Amino acid sequence: MNQPVIAVENLRVSFGGTTAVDGVSFTLHAGRALALVGESGSGKSVTARSLLGLSGGRAAADALEICGQDARDLSDGQWRQIRGTRISMILQDALMALDPLRPVGREIGDALKAHGSAPASARRAQVIDALAAVRVPEPERRARQRSTELSGGMRQRALIAQALIGDPQVVIADEATTALDSQLTALVLSQLRDIKEQGRAVLMISHDLAQVAQLADDIAVMRQGKIVEFGPAIEVLGSPQHEYTKTLLQAVPSGVPRFSSLSPGSAVPQCPARPNTTSAALRVNSLSKSFGGHPAVQDVSFELPRGKTLGIVGESGSGKTTTARMVLGIERPDSGTVELLGQGFVPQRESARRELRRQMGAIYQNPLGSFDPRYSVSQLLTDALSQGRTKRSSQYRDEVARLLEQVELDPALGGRNPVELSGGQRQRLAIARALAAKPAVLILDEPVSALDVSVQATVLDLLDRIQLETGTSYLFISHDLSVIEHMSDAVAVMYQGRIVEQGPTEQIFGDPQQDYTKQLLSAMPRLR
Amino acid sequence: MSRTAKILSLAFIAFWLLTALAPSLIAPGDPLAINPAQAFQKPGLGHLFGTDESGRDVYTRVVHGARDSLFIGIAATALGMGLAIVLGTAAALSPRWLDEAILRVLEALYAVPSLLMALLIIAFTGPGVGPAIVAVGLSTAPGYARLVRSQIRTLRRSEMLEAATVLGRGPWAKVRNHLVPNALKPLLALVTLGIGQAVIWAAALSFLGLGTPPPAPEWGAMLSAGRTYLHLAWWMSLFPGLAIVVVAAGATLIGRALGGKVKAL
Repeated sequence: MNQPVIAVENLRVSFGGTTAVDGVSFTLHAGRALALVGESGSGKSVTARSLLGLSGGRAAADALEICGQDARDLSDGQWRQIRGTRISMILQDALMALDPLRPVGREIGDALKAHGSAPASARRAQVIDALAAVRVPEPERRARQRSTELSGGMRQRALIAQALIGDPQVVIADEATTALDSQLTALVLSQLRDIKEQGRAVLMISHDLAQVAQLADDIAVMRQGKIVEFGPAIEVLGSPQHEYTKTLLQAVPSGVPRFSSLSPGSAVPQCPARPNTTSAALRVNSLSKSFGGHPAVQDVSFELPRGKTLGIVGESGSGKTTTARMVLGIERPDSGTVELLGQGFVPQRESARRELRRQMGAIYQNPLGSFDPRYSVSQLLTDALSQGRTKRSSQYRDEVARLLEQVELDPALGGRNPVELSGGQRQRLAIARALAAKPAVLILDEPVSALDVSVQATVLDLLDRIQLETGTSYLFISHDLSVIEHMSDAVAVMYQGRIVEQGPTEQIFGDPQQDYTKQLLSAMPRLR
Repeated sequence: MSRTAKILSLAFIAFWLLTALAPSLIAPGDPLAINPAQAFQKPGLGHLFGTDESGRDVYTRVVHGARDSLFIGIAATALGMGLAIVLGTAAALSPRWLDEAILRVLEALYAVPSLLMALLIIAFTGPGVGPAIVAVGLSTAPGYARLVRSQIRTLRRSEMLEAATVLGRGPWAKVRNHLVPNALKPLLALVTLGIGQAVIWAAALSFLGLGTPPPAPEWGAMLSAGRTYLHLAWWMSLFPGLAIVVVAAGATLIGRALGGKVKAL
């Protein structure tokens, strides 16, 4: 085979005393895609950043070659020559990565300015070509717009154009699809495929094997700074050798039936003893809300039976969260009603429904923001158990311990501040707090979207178990189709503020009727 | 804050608390004892900081003066802060018209220089320790109140408060358990800074003869008395002046260190 564009041998990166990357070796050839897969903290991002000279720690390697050049002892100036022209990176968050005050064309052109002395008019032409190459319609007009004026898809394309403008041979995509809804994910993946077909090498960093499977020729599974399994994608996905790879594969929820375990060691009861009642825990009647004349939610109605899960799926901006906030009584709807256990909940005066609030809990995407930063884990739970009367009372010690046990959190964590917990532990704490009042309904708004796939699997298993044990109904909101498919008894698909289709999960996923649902499902990455 | 800085700050606070609460421990003499024969002694072994025009020991008076100066500073800040919490919280949680009304009043008060306002208040109440506390406290309140208001307004829209609503917490529980404590945390640094400032203002009022009445030892009053004899007894003004500088600078440094810690959180 020809010369690899990237050759890494025994790369080691350490921060202070801790080793983040411990003896990683791989090669990457032009026109190929390699995926580094692993959970947060496995060293995959640090490895990728080392290839740009941005590891941020102390990096050493037996060999580190970029396009045939030894990159071990490059000065900052020499790194700047390489970055953007030989190797570049697609950043994760388009909204954060682009300056909101400058036109995207200028943002993209900056890379050219830094490297060449081409005249401004030539640069502008190149920027427009680059935008056209990533299939941005009307590139001249888009180049003059600011990132906030572009849609999510346009922004993502602009970000890719920015990475490609210097004609690099290697493109690194560091979690470039994480937290994007399925249509944007499909877009980025197809762009990466184009990049590969142009003869460039792609290094993809992800924690999600289902997405990696769409693109990668080779997969390297990383854990604790080491590559534990490395091989062609078909072999790694088809017949994984290492235990950890198997765990990661098992964690992917798409196509896994309801109440089947996603994580090793979590015991989801095999025979669901679920109430087979038809009485509704939550009944939502034609909710509508507009912000400044723009309709955000229009005429949304659904019913959530007791002990069941209704999944609401849709891309960002489809009105999922606004619907959840209206159901929770935080946002006042323009019209429509919500009934909780047969009693009117929205619209109601806050004082009139306060007693009923104990029947409805909420879990957010970022649980940390919903905790009082001064409270420790056990204080948060004591506060919830005592309904805000106290945060440190030994009276509730047993109940706090029982809640922690219920969500599989170590009781020794009771004295910690939530800031010190991992993302998965925080979400467990949020679930424990919501369960303190023994609610009939939980509203879960993107509860696992910020978590790694393997952590997500354990939280989903926990939610399954709790539903079987307590008969709590879930309103489960997510942009992730595979999570919705795995968790829901029934599904409502939202698009532009309306529910375009709803029905039993098998029906929506097996035989979608609406064009939008079909389009959404075709963009869904599948492993199985 | 580093470990050394913490120890130094605690030592500083402990030292001044001891001085204010039990001055006789470090200065056993009587701050009011007159001895005309010993007037205008230079600082030396017998009189560490020298003596004043009536032969009173300046060291003893500086030490005993800590009580009034610090008491006025701390009490005034507490008064200002307490008032600010009530006004700021009320404004932040009130309907728009009441919020606007409270804001306009605060802005009008804010427009008057604080010391000038303190003088104005004393013009009504007459001089003394109590009036000095009220004057300094009232004139610092508008500044704090605006900060409390903005803190609470930010917190009110936070996910934390939304979560409290969803958990079924009533308005009082939300204010008492979440809003006020979280709004005050970042103000702690400001309060420390404010105490240093209030000590200076208390001294300034006494310097003008509007605070502690003579012959009680008070740093501002001592400065004022020493001013007349500056050409022949510099020590009469220098040492109380130094005490003011040390307390104000110390409080400011601790406040800044706390402020850094709050930002890092």
